[in-house]
Amino acid sequence: MRIPRFTVAVLAALCCGSALAEGVTLPAVERVTLENGVVLILHEKDDVPLIGLEASIRGGAVSDPAGLGGMANLLAGMLEKGAGERDAAEFAEAIDAVGGSLGASADLESIAISAEFMARDADLMIELLVDMLRAPLLDDDEVRKLRDRSIDELRAAKDSNLRLLMPIYGNGFLFADHPYGNSLYGSEESLEKITPAVLRDYYNNYFGGDRLVIAVAGDFDAVAIIEKLTAAFGDWRAASAPLPVIEPPAATTGRRVLLVDKPGAAQSYFWIGNVGVGVNHAARAELDIANTLFGGRFTSILMDELRTKAGLTYGASSSLRREAAGGSVAMISSTKTDTSIAAIDLAVALLAKFRDEGVPDNLIASGKNYILGQYAPRFETAQQLAGEFVAIENYGLDASYVNNYGAAIVAADGEAIRSVIEAVYPASDNLVFAIIGDADVIREQVAKYGPVTEMAITDPNFSPQ
Amino acid sequence: MALFAELRRRNVLKVALLYAVASALILWFVQNNGDQLGLPTWTNLFLILLLLIGFPVALLFAWTYEVTPSGLRKAVNVDQTQSIVYKTGQKLNAAVSVLLVLGVLALLGEGLLPKFEFLVPGVPQGNAPVSENSPPEIRSLVLDNGLKIIVWPDHDIPNVVMYNFVRTGGRNEYPGITGISHFFEHMMFLGTEKLEPGEFDRTMEAAGGSNNAYTSNDVTVYTDWFPRSALNVIFEIEADRLENLRTYADAVEAERQVVQSERRSRVDDNNFFKLYEQVRATAFVAHPYQFPVLGWPSDIASWTEADLGRWYQTFYAPNNRTMVFAGDVTAAEIFELAEEFFAPLSAQEPPPAVRTIEPEQQGTRRVAVAAPAQTPLLHMAFHAGSATDPDTPPLNLLLNILVGGESSRLHRALVEDDELVLDINGFQDEGFDPGLAYFYLTLPPGGDAAVVERRVLEELQRVIDDGVTEAEISKARNIVLADFWRGLATIDGKASALGRHEVFLGDYESLFALPDEMEAITVGALQEVAAKVFRVENLTVGVLQEAAE
Repeated sequence: MRIPRFTVAVLAALCCGSALAEGVTLPAVERVTLENGVVLILHEKDDVPLIGLEASIRGGAVSDPAGLGGMANLLAGMLEKGAGERDAAEFAEAIDAVGGSLGASADLESIAISAEFMARDADLMIELLVDMLRAPLLDDDEVRKLRDRSIDELRAAKDSNLRLLMPIYGNGFLFADHPYGNSLYGSEESLEKITPAVLRDYYNNYFGGDRLVIAVAGDFDAVAIIEKLTAAFGDWRAASAPLPVIEPPAATTGRRVLLVDKPGAAQSYFWIGNVGVGVNHAARAELDIANTLFGGRFTSILMDELRTKAGLTYGASSSLRREAAGGSVAMISSTKTDTSIAAIDLAVALLAKFRDEGVPDNLIASGKNYILGQYAPRFETAQQLAGEFVAIENYGLDASYVNNYGAAIVAADGEAIRSVIEAVYPASDNLVFAIIGDADVIREQVAKYGPVTEMAITDPNFSPQ
Repeated sequence: MALFAELRRRNVLKVALLYAVASALILWFVQNNGDQLGLPTWTNLFLILLLLIGFPVALLFAWTYEVTPSGLRKAVNVDQTQSIVYKTGQKLNAAVSVLLVLGVLALLGEGLLPKFEFLVPGVPQGNAPVSENSPPEIRSLVLDNGLKIIVWPDHDIPNVVMYNFVRTGGRNEYPGITGISHFFEHMMFLGTEKLEPGEFDRTMEAAGGSNNAYTSNDVTVYTDWFPRSALNVIFEIEADRLENLRTYADAVEAERQVVQSERRSRVDDNNFFKLYEQVRATAFVAHPYQFPVLGWPSDIASWTEADLGRWYQTFYAPNNRTMVFAGDVTAAEIFELAEEFFAPLSAQEPPPAVRTIEPEQQGTRRVAVAAPAQTPLLHMAFHAGSATDPDTPPLNLLLNILVGGESSRLHRALVEDDELVLDINGFQDEGFDPGLAYFYLTLPPGGDAAVVERRVLEELQRVIDDGVTEAEISKARNIVLADFWRGLATIDGKASALGRHEVFLGDYESLFALPDEMEAITVGALQEVAAKVFRVENLTVGVLQEAAE
């Protein structure tokens, strides 16, 4: 029987309708790949007169040369310390004079540049971007200043921002020599070794058109911007140094403990985890639901038990760090020094219970609703959209990563969730602990968690030597 | 097959198709606009049942009857050679096509088309803005009990943000109960007559929402971020905790521990806040702005349930609050829900006014904190105005020139040129009462706070003596303007900004006067405010560093 064409259309319309019901659909973009590999992604959005830009140079902290941790991040900071015809002061003035914002920093696998300007200053924004990527001055004196300041800023963080440092110590101890253990900021010791000459070498070898992705979103004319960006980057040579090939990291078996001594600390900060999974893990929706319920929202198991019921902490969470070739999963919290062991014991017990018992079905529905209800605001602004476009490009994904997410969440079932919990979250016997606290008080007690390596928070690195 | 051919001939299949598409459209329409139409919640189910029952009836009808040039006839009575079923079939095709196109357009255009704003009689429409600078879609309403509600519809994403500003904070406290506003903020999540501790958050998160709150010296602010579909649930549980809060003794004690943890994280283990707390306590000798919002440790340990009860009664009354909604809503539906859920709350006697005025400072004050520190800290605070003080906007522009961005005067002088500090930042309080203009600096290991202090004062004196340039004030205006737009790029930013302006400046529309206001400020005004504020007699200095050997 021949099916009338309009019947097919009906069915298509109805199917389309139900897919739109849940989740987010990324807007259409203009995507252009230049001959030298530069990728441009553009999306016009004029709800506010702003233009946002996210650019990325693949590389990042995993490409820091051995012993010179923090290279990529230092270079990122140097990009705006003078470029093209402008020295550092003039570059800063050009940005501030129009109320713009422009900055760069290193992620694990790329250097990220973020810019947001008034729409009327789009041309200036492009000019500054081109200069900072293709013609940064990397002046000797400016390099020395920024490097020395960065070293001191790590010391300042050790005084007042231990929550920032927890994952650095934790992932560093977990991954050991694997590049995923690299500190984005390097360490006081490694930064000391970076000279202006070495930094310029790194720039010359690791920057190039084949590593560049630019996403622009906001109030602008796509055609004009494509022209400008093509003219500016179309002839950029490829980078000469190959990017490191990252092998998937192997999980740790057994337990071990890193104790970082901060004498007189009022609290202990702990990070407990193991190797996790990467961005491309098949059961992404199931894993997100599991992690939300375990430690990814206020009423999570960790928050409920450690904070609300036991009053042991102000915050407890479970963090899934997913990169291209793998990642880590960890519980993170803090508690007053006297209750360090009580809190850590409880966290370890909750993790074991979570693996054994999973989560009840009624809670799964709640988790799904929460994820779906909180999803759309992540794609609200031009800046956010630009960031998403770049991430999708860098991880080799496509729009379905976002567009199909809602349906995947809705479809996730209890069995699949239980199975991903067992597969991804570490068993009690296989845990890596990183604890910052007053070692004189807690040293003896933490020994029960496993063989302990001790270091001081004032040590100029994030890993025991 | 003969039966099937006959079904086709009598257009039964086409009628079935038409019926299905029409039903889908009706259901979609009702689902999306039922709230505004004021339809009861059983409408969907009722319609589905009705349409299901109607389906076989329609099919039977199509089988039995046939359209002829002389009207409807029973099919068996029609001469097949005279039949015009094919024409009827074409009309049915056309009808289905039209409905399909409408359906696809409706689904695709759901985001583009304006929401149907059905005017339901009896629901207040609220007041439109008066200024032509203000977006015309905003509405505000004051309920009989004094609660003011502002709504900014924005259908960009299917989400809503709610802010609830309560006019209570550190400034309403006194020794013995410092920190109680902040503790009370915690209590608002810990149980009502209907909901046990934890149920409020579980209910909200199960509906797809998340929330947070903060307390300052002036206000306690509650924020909910939720999908449109959770609107009714949000109103229900918010109204519940605003009317029926009760304290569960166990929860109070556990939460006391949590607040002590918070104090430890934020203050004891954080050199910035350790010093900040001391500097504020020193800068103010009389006014309650001297008390830390978290409270002094001994007071945290001593609050009683009676203290909490009094706080609720006095400060959480509707006439002491302002609520703002921004996102995928209409003003009408918010006001209708407000009438249902918030109007029953009773107004209370306004809270006692804060009577103490900080006397003018007559000489530099200093406070030192000895603490382990690799990097010493220097804080410099000058007494300045309140949110409504006419000096506050020019001082904002001046602060941008001094510390806004890497081209700012103090950053260039102290961080880049002299390499005296790692970073320098600043802000002003802009509270209900005159507050502080506050600079905070991080020194490198071994840095000399006295030298840095002198350098800062030198730079401030330069502004007093020589003023600022037109280029600088233009830069500052652009920074403020760009930040203004960044704030409005999200529904969260919209709600927050509207609320802050309404609560602190008395009029949400003042937000949209910002660009013009900035334009009108002159370099002269900046020089004047510098001379008024940056005097050493008006200065409190705090230094945190390792204890001297």
